[in-house]
Amino acid sequence: MSRKTREAFEGYVYIIPSFIILLIFYIIPIFMSGYYSFTSYSLVKAPRFVGLRNYMKMLTDSYVLAAIKNTFIYTLVTVPFQTILALLFAAFLAMRFRNWFGEMIRSAMFIPVIASAVACGAVWAVLMDTDNGLLNFILHFFGAKGINWLGSSQYALISICIVAIWKNVGYFLVIYYAGIMGISRDLFEAAEIDGASKWQEFRLITIPMLKPVTYLIVTLGIIWSFQVFDLSYVMTGGGPGKSTVTLVMDIYNQAFKGNGKMGYASAIAMVLLLFIVIVNLIENRFFKPKEEV
Amino acid sequence: MRTKMMHRKNFNVLTVIGVIAMVIFTISCIYPFIYMVLLSLTSSNTAVLRLQDISLKGLSNYYYVLKSRNFLRSLFNSVLVSVLACFFNNIISAMAAYGFAKKRFPGNRFLFSLFMLTLMVPGQVTLIPDFLIMRSFNMLNTYLSLYILIINAFGVFLVKQFMDSVPDELLEAAKVDGCPEHKIFIQIALPLLKPVLVSLTIFTFVNIWNSFLWPLVAVTKSDMYTLTVVLSLLKAQYTANYGFIMAGATVTFVFPFILYITLQKQFVEGIALSGVKG
Repeated sequence: MSRKTREAFEGYVYIIPSFIILLIFYIIPIFMSGYYSFTSYSLVKAPRFVGLRNYMKMLTDSYVLAAIKNTFIYTLVTVPFQTILALLFAAFLAMRFRNWFGEMIRSAMFIPVIASAVACGAVWAVLMDTDNGLLNFILHFFGAKGINWLGSSQYALISICIVAIWKNVGYFLVIYYAGIMGISRDLFEAAEIDGASKWQEFRLITIPMLKPVTYLIVTLGIIWSFQVFDLSYVMTGGGPGKSTVTLVMDIYNQAFKGNGKMGYASAIAMVLLLFIVIVNLIENRFFKPKEEV
Repeated sequence: MRTKMMHRKNFNVLTVIGVIAMVIFTISCIYPFIYMVLLSLTSSNTAVLRLQDISLKGLSNYYYVLKSRNFLRSLFNSVLVSVLACFFNNIISAMAAYGFAKKRFPGNRFLFSLFMLTLMVPGQVTLIPDFLIMRSFNMLNTYLSLYILIINAFGVFLVKQFMDSVPDELLEAAKVDGCPEHKIFIQIALPLLKPVLVSLTIFTFVNIWNSFLWPLVAVTKSDMYTLTVVLSLLKAQYTANYGFIMAGATVTFVFPFILYITLQKQFVEGIALSGVKG
């Protein structure tokens, strides 16, 4: 065997285990999902081609429509808040607290990130209890009326958004902070010599220099919000009514409750994939910094 | 002079507001977990935390939680699945990364792009086919089914980034000395990869430990449940028994938390390095 063939052979040997796993559990499944989405298929009945019927059905399925609406509200609430909070905290820490205090703050804000959504949901459900929860206790303390956080369709989705923001800020903070640390010190020093205020530095240097990081964080935030399941499932189970139903919850309920409508659930999954691909394409097409030659 | 002073004052007010906002948010990040632990130690069945309720008697919550619903078994399952996931993800990702970074073969670039493309596809989209595939291979309710999906292109991407910066000469030298291929990988490449493998281990552990949807779907026998699934069942069943549920939540939380406290620096560096979640 020549050296070249030998090297190629070795290369394939190294990548083959992960290639097989990706092929079986990631690549083939995408095509399977695509195929099933055009079939009527349950665990008790073999797939039968039905054309676009599943997709048509979605248009009138109140659960799917509610999920899409909830997902958009969820995205519009969580993404701006978590991004702006993370950016402000990161910039503020980098400007004023590059010391033990700043480190402590960053560490503390990261704790919700590592905790499981199920545990967080369980704890927040207690804090958001209408009669005895801490949040209403605080509201009462300030003379306000308590809120039925999780039990009313008016507030339930917002309550879940609050927990999600709380859980995500620490993660994005770390990314932003690393981004700020990567900005050349010279820029800030030059600005200081020119007499710029800290606010001007933030507005005219930090924000523009962090653009690529912001695109990444916004894209990730949007994609995550399309995938919400755990918090909703644990805190409200989708209710009250359909007020906190999400797309993933629809997939789960259709496929794994009752007879298991695998075909219909696959169609919902394909819609989810379509949303995510669109977000990725928009990011790649319009926002990705051009590669330097 | 005057404007400068005003400027300064403004900016101090901003600093004070910033510090207050930050401290409030920080407290809100920690307090729920303190509340969780303290409430788990009370014997009263109320969401209100009264300090006089905290007593050793509250430890009975832990006793009952560990006894209930296969909780102890699911704790064991979660630990075992997490350890296996970390082990296999490290080995398999490191192998692929090494292959992609250091070996020339036809299709290298194409296959790597294909790997990266799979990162765009979320697990929720492949949930149903993965379930059906595993069902047809009789893999449901096995440990393998619970950890194999964590092995994805993210690990390969992460390790390859690092592998690219390892100079080829280091490996070539060993080759010239007649070191066999597998020994070059195990004895030279792997030790060099240690920092990135620590990051990957942390990612893998936290993700698999906290994963919920897949174990919910892939496990139908109660003795194969993982902690997150059991916790959600407990919460649904014992809605009013707060101390009891908080004890379960505390046990679920404490493992990643201890890992985080011990490897804090690597956690943060790993995320800053990749900027992507697995």
